[in-house]
Amino acid sequence: VRAELILMGRRVDMARQARRRGLVVGIYILLVLLIAALWYFTHWREGFYWVVWAVIGACRLFLGGYYRGGLVKPFDNNPPRALQTRSPFLPLGLRVYVSALEDDREWRSDERELRQRDRAHYLAYQTIGMAVALQLLVALVRMKEPLVQAWMAMPPDQLYYGFAVIVLTLLLTLPQAILLWTEPDMAAD
Amino acid sequence: MVVTDNGKAGPGESGLYNRIAVLRAERGVSRQDLADAVGVNYQTIGFLERGDYGPSVKLAFAIGEFFKLPIEAIFSTHPFRPLSEQVYGNRE
Repeated sequence: VRAELILMGRRVDMARQARRRGLVVGIYILLVLLIAALWYFTHWREGFYWVVWAVIGACRLFLGGYYRGGLVKPFDNNPPRALQTRSPFLPLGLRVYVSALEDDREWRSDERELRQRDRAHYLAYQTIGMAVALQLLVALVRMKEPLVQAWMAMPPDQLYYGFAVIVLTLLLTLPQAILLWTEPDMAAD
Repeated sequence: MVVTDNGKAGPGESGLYNRIAVLRAERGVSRQDLADAVGVNYQTIGFLERGDYGPSVKLAFAIGEFFKLPIEAIFSTHPFRPLSEQVYGNRE
Protein backbone atom coordinates (compact mmCIF):
# COMPACT_ATOMS: atom_id res chain seq x y z
CA VAL A 1 0.00 0.00 0.00
CA ARG A 2 1.36 3.39 -0.95
CA ALA A 3 1.46 6.23 1.54
CA GLU A 4 0.32 8.88 -0.89
CA LEU A 5 -2.13 9.30 -3.69
CA ILE A 6 -1.15 11.31 -6.73
CA LEU A 7 -4.21 12.97 -8.12
CA MET A 8 -4.40 15.79 -10.62
CA GLY A 9 -0.66 16.21 -10.18
CA ARG A 10 -0.99 16.76 -6.45
CA ARG A 11 0.33 14.49 -3.74
CA VAL A 12 -2.31 13.59 -1.20
CA ASP A 13 -0.98 12.13 2.04
CA MET A 14 -2.76 8.88 2.80
CA ALA A 15 -0.36 7.55 5.44
CA ARG A 16 -3.02 7.69 8.13
CA GLN A 17 -5.34 4.72 8.39
CA ALA A 18 -8.32 6.97 9.18
CA ARG A 19 -7.90 8.77 5.86
CA ARG A 20 -7.72 5.55 3.92
CA ARG A 21 -10.79 4.22 5.70
CA GLY A 22 -12.60 7.47 4.91
CA LEU A 23 -11.69 7.06 1.26
CA VAL A 24 -12.98 3.48 1.20
CA VAL A 25 -16.25 4.48 2.88
CA GLY A 26 -16.65 7.44 0.49
CA ILE A 27 -16.08 5.27 -2.59
CA TYR A 28 -18.57 2.64 -1.47
CA ILE A 29 -21.19 5.27 -0.59
CA LEU A 30 -20.82 6.79 -4.08
CA LEU A 31 -21.00 3.36 -5.73
CA VAL A 32 -24.11 2.40 -3.75
CA LEU A 33 -25.75 5.72 -4.65
CA LEU A 34 -24.84 5.21 -8.31
CA ILE A 35 -26.18 1.64 -8.32
CA ALA A 36 -29.41 2.74 -6.62
CA ALA A 37 -29.86 5.72 -8.95
CA LEU A 38 -29.23 3.65 -12.08
CA TRP A 39 -31.64 0.97 -10.93
CA TYR A 40 -34.28 3.60 -10.16
CA PHE A 41 -33.93 5.41 -13.48
CA THR A 42 -32.98 2.68 -15.97
CA HIS A 43 -33.80 -0.64 -14.24
CA TRP A 44 -30.49 -1.97 -15.59
CA ARG A 45 -31.41 -1.45 -19.21
CA GLU A 46 -28.37 0.76 -19.80
CA GLY A 47 -27.08 1.37 -16.31
CA PHE A 48 -24.97 -1.76 -15.89
CA TYR A 49 -22.12 -0.38 -17.99
CA TRP A 50 -22.00 2.87 -16.06
CA VAL A 51 -21.40 0.95 -12.86
CA VAL A 52 -18.59 -1.01 -14.50
CA TRP A 53 -16.97 2.18 -15.71
CA ALA A 54 -17.36 3.79 -12.29
CA VAL A 55 -15.72 0.79 -10.61
CA ILE A 56 -12.84 0.81 -13.12
CA GLY A 57 -12.39 4.54 -12.52
CA ALA A 58 -12.38 4.08 -8.74
CA CYS A 59 -9.72 1.36 -9.04
CA ARG A 60 -7.62 3.35 -11.45
CA LEU A 61 -7.67 6.63 -9.56
CA PHE A 62 -8.04 5.70 -5.89
CA LEU A 63 -7.96 2.04 -4.95
CA GLY A 64 -5.34 0.65 -7.33
CA GLY A 65 -4.61 -3.06 -7.55
CA TYR A 66 -4.92 -3.44 -11.30
CA TYR A 67 -3.29 -0.33 -12.67
CA ARG A 68 -0.42 1.88 -11.80
CA GLY A 69 -2.70 4.52 -10.32
CA GLY A 70 -4.25 4.27 -6.88
CA LEU A 71 -3.00 3.31 -3.45
CA VAL A 72 -2.65 -0.45 -3.70
CA LYS A 73 0.30 -1.73 -5.70
CA PRO A 74 -0.60 -3.86 -8.74
CA PHE A 75 -1.67 -7.34 -7.68
CA ASP A 76 0.31 -9.01 -10.48
CA ASN A 77 3.49 -7.65 -8.84
CA ASN A 78 5.01 -6.53 -12.12
CA PRO A 79 6.32 -3.05 -12.88
CA PRO A 80 4.66 -1.41 -15.88
CA ARG A 81 6.32 -1.78 -19.24
CA ALA A 82 8.12 1.23 -20.64
CA LEU A 83 5.39 1.75 -23.23
CA GLN A 84 2.82 2.07 -20.47
CA THR A 85 4.64 4.80 -18.61
CA ARG A 86 3.05 7.53 -20.72
CA SER A 87 -0.53 8.19 -19.84
CA PRO A 88 -3.13 9.57 -22.23
CA PHE A 89 -4.23 11.78 -19.35
CA LEU A 90 -0.92 13.64 -19.28
CA PRO A 91 -1.64 15.81 -22.33
CA LEU A 92 -4.86 16.83 -20.66
CA GLY A 93 -2.91 18.17 -17.73
CA LEU A 94 -4.49 15.79 -15.26
CA ARG A 95 -1.12 14.21 -14.43
CA VAL A 96 -2.62 11.27 -12.66
CA TYR A 97 0.21 8.76 -13.04
CA VAL A 98 3.40 10.61 -12.35
CA SER A 99 4.37 8.72 -9.22
CA ALA A 100 7.96 7.53 -8.87
CA LEU A 101 8.21 5.48 -12.04
CA GLU A 102 11.95 5.30 -11.64
CA ASP A 103 11.74 3.04 -8.61
CA ASP A 104 10.88 -0.58 -9.26
CA ARG A 105 9.87 -1.06 -5.63
CA GLU A 106 7.05 1.40 -6.20
CA TRP A 107 5.41 -1.40 -8.17
CA ARG A 108 6.67 -4.56 -6.55
CA SER A 109 5.27 -5.84 -3.28
CA ASP A 110 7.57 -7.35 -0.68
CA GLU A 111 6.89 -10.68 1.01
CA ARG A 112 4.64 -9.19 3.73
CA GLU A 113 2.60 -7.25 1.19
CA LEU A 114 2.21 -10.35 -0.97
CA ARG A 115 0.95 -12.26 2.06
CA GLN A 116 -1.49 -9.45 2.84
CA ARG A 117 -2.63 -9.39 -0.78
CA ASP A 118 -3.38 -13.10 -0.70
CA ARG A 119 -5.20 -12.81 2.62
CA ALA A 120 -7.28 -9.86 1.38
CA HIS A 121 -8.31 -11.85 -1.68
CA TYR A 122 -9.24 -14.81 0.48
CA LEU A 123 -11.44 -12.62 2.69
CA ALA A 124 -12.94 -10.84 -0.32
CA TYR A 125 -13.78 -14.07 -2.12
CA GLN A 126 -15.36 -15.46 1.03
CA THR A 127 -17.62 -12.39 1.14
CA ILE A 128 -18.42 -12.67 -2.54
CA GLY A 129 -19.19 -16.35 -2.08
CA MET A 130 -21.68 -15.43 0.61
CA ALA A 131 -23.22 -12.81 -1.69
CA VAL A 132 -23.67 -15.44 -4.39
CA ALA A 133 -25.17 -17.87 -1.85
CA LEU A 134 -27.57 -15.13 -0.76
CA GLN A 135 -28.53 -14.59 -4.39
CA LEU A 136 -29.38 -18.26 -4.79
CA LEU A 137 -31.32 -18.22 -1.51
CA VAL A 138 -33.36 -15.19 -2.59
CA ALA A 139 -34.07 -16.82 -5.95
CA LEU A 140 -35.17 -20.03 -4.21
CA VAL A 141 -37.42 -18.24 -1.71
CA ARG A 142 -38.84 -16.15 -4.51
CA MET A 143 -39.77 -19.22 -6.51
CA LYS A 144 -41.40 -20.99 -3.57
CA GLU A 145 -43.20 -18.21 -1.72
CA PRO A 146 -45.95 -16.28 -3.52
CA LEU A 147 -46.00 -13.73 -0.69
CA VAL A 148 -42.35 -12.87 -1.28
CA GLN A 149 -43.02 -12.73 -5.00
CA ALA A 150 -45.61 -10.04 -4.45
CA TRP A 151 -43.36 -8.16 -2.04
CA MET A 152 -40.41 -8.20 -4.41
CA ALA A 153 -42.33 -7.08 -7.43
CA MET A 154 -39.28 -7.03 -9.64
CA PRO A 155 -38.70 -8.96 -12.87
CA PRO A 156 -36.17 -11.77 -12.46
CA ASP A 157 -33.76 -10.26 -14.98
CA GLN A 158 -33.55 -7.06 -12.93
CA LEU A 159 -32.96 -9.04 -9.78
CA TYR A 160 -30.16 -11.05 -11.35
CA TYR A 161 -28.64 -7.98 -12.98
CA GLY A 162 -28.66 -6.26 -9.60
CA PHE A 163 -26.86 -9.13 -7.93
CA ALA A 164 -24.44 -9.37 -10.84
CA VAL A 165 -23.59 -5.69 -10.43
CA ILE A 166 -23.03 -6.09 -6.71
CA VAL A 167 -20.86 -9.19 -7.15
CA LEU A 168 -18.81 -7.55 -9.90
CA THR A 169 -18.34 -4.40 -7.82
CA LEU A 170 -17.16 -6.44 -4.84
CA LEU A 171 -14.94 -8.62 -7.01
CA LEU A 172 -13.09 -5.62 -8.42
CA THR A 173 -12.89 -3.45 -5.30
CA LEU A 174 -13.10 -5.50 -2.13
CA PRO A 175 -9.51 -6.85 -1.98
CA GLN A 176 -8.11 -3.31 -2.26
CA ALA A 177 -10.66 -2.01 0.23
CA ILE A 178 -9.64 -4.69 2.76
CA LEU A 179 -5.96 -3.81 2.30
CA LEU A 180 -6.56 -0.08 2.71
CA TRP A 181 -8.81 -0.69 5.71
CA THR A 182 -6.43 -2.97 7.59
CA GLU A 183 -3.04 -1.38 6.91
CA PRO A 184 -2.12 0.63 10.02
CA ASP A 185 -0.77 4.18 10.11
CA MET A 186 2.44 4.47 8.16
CA ALA A 187 5.42 6.21 9.70
CA ALA A 188 8.90 6.29 8.18
CA ASP A 189 10.58 6.01 11.58
CA MET B 1 7.17 -5.49 19.61
CA VAL B 2 8.60 -3.73 22.62
CA VAL B 3 10.16 -6.01 25.16
CA THR B 4 10.22 -4.29 28.50
CA ASP B 5 12.56 -5.13 31.34
CA ASN B 6 9.87 -7.00 33.18
CA GLY B 7 9.32 -9.08 30.06
CA LYS B 8 5.56 -8.50 29.99
CA ALA B 9 5.29 -7.48 26.35
CA GLY B 10 4.20 -10.23 23.99
CA PRO B 11 5.85 -11.30 20.76
CA GLY B 12 3.06 -9.97 18.54
CA GLU B 13 1.09 -11.98 16.00
CA SER B 14 4.15 -13.73 14.62
CA GLY B 15 5.10 -15.34 17.92
CA LEU B 16 8.67 -14.15 17.41
CA TYR B 17 10.62 -11.83 19.67
CA ASN B 18 13.22 -9.68 18.00
CA ARG B 19 15.86 -7.04 18.65
CA ILE B 20 15.58 -5.10 15.41
CA ALA B 21 14.46 -1.86 17.06
CA VAL B 22 17.26 -2.05 19.64
CA LEU B 23 19.89 -2.77 16.99
CA ARG B 24 18.61 0.02 14.77
CA ALA B 25 18.69 2.51 17.61
CA GLU B 26 22.13 1.36 18.68
CA ARG B 27 23.55 1.81 15.18
CA GLY B 28 21.55 4.89 14.22
CA VAL B 29 19.85 3.18 11.28
CA SER B 30 16.43 4.35 10.14
CA ARG B 31 13.65 1.99 9.11
CA GLN B 32 13.98 3.24 5.56
CA ASP B 33 17.75 2.51 5.51
CA LEU B 34 17.22 -1.01 6.80
CA ALA B 35 14.30 -1.55 4.41
CA ASP B 36 16.40 -0.42 1.45
CA ALA B 37 19.27 -2.68 2.51
CA VAL B 38 17.16 -5.82 2.82
CA GLY B 39 14.79 -5.02 -0.06
CA VAL B 40 11.45 -4.55 1.66
CA ASN B 41 9.03 -1.72 2.29
CA TYR B 42 9.78 0.42 5.37
CA GLN B 43 6.37 -0.50 6.76
CA THR B 44 7.45 -4.12 6.81
CA ILE B 45 10.30 -3.21 9.16
CA GLY B 46 7.71 -1.71 11.52
CA PHE B 47 5.67 -4.93 11.35
CA LEU B 48 8.80 -6.97 12.06
CA GLU B 49 9.76 -4.81 15.04
CA ARG B 50 6.32 -5.11 16.57
CA GLY B 51 6.40 -8.85 16.00
CA ASP B 52 3.29 -8.64 13.84
CA TYR B 53 5.04 -10.30 10.94
CA GLY B 54 7.32 -13.33 10.95
CA PRO B 55 10.00 -12.95 8.26
CA SER B 56 10.92 -15.57 5.69
CA VAL B 57 14.24 -17.33 6.21
CA LYS B 58 15.67 -15.28 3.35
CA LEU B 59 14.64 -11.98 4.94
CA ALA B 60 15.85 -13.09 8.37
CA PHE B 61 19.25 -13.92 6.87
CA ALA B 62 19.34 -10.58 5.07
CA ILE B 63 18.66 -8.75 8.34
CA GLY B 64 21.32 -10.84 10.08
CA GLU B 65 23.83 -9.99 7.37
CA PHE B 66 22.96 -6.32 7.59
CA PHE B 67 23.62 -6.20 11.33
CA LYS B 68 26.48 -8.72 11.00
CA LEU B 69 24.90 -10.91 13.64
CA PRO B 70 23.60 -14.48 13.64
CA ILE B 71 19.85 -14.84 13.24
CA GLU B 72 19.39 -16.17 16.77
CA ALA B 73 20.85 -12.93 18.11
CA ILE B 74 18.04 -11.00 16.39
CA PHE B 75 15.05 -13.35 16.45
CA SER B 76 13.91 -15.73 19.14
CA THR B 77 10.82 -17.65 20.11
CA HIS B 78 11.56 -16.82 23.76
CA PRO B 79 11.79 -13.35 25.29
CA PHE B 80 15.26 -11.84 25.12
CA ARG B 81 17.01 -10.98 28.33
CA PRO B 82 17.68 -7.25 28.48
CA LEU B 83 21.07 -6.44 26.95
CA SER B 84 22.23 -4.74 30.16
CA GLU B 85 21.51 -7.90 32.09
CA GLN B 86 23.31 -10.04 29.52
CA VAL B 87 26.37 -7.81 29.53
CA TYR B 88 26.64 -7.00 33.23
CA GLY B 89 24.66 -9.86 34.72
CA ASN B 90 22.00 -9.69 37.38
CA ARG B 91 23.55 -7.85 40.34
CA GLU B 92 20.77 -8.53 42.82
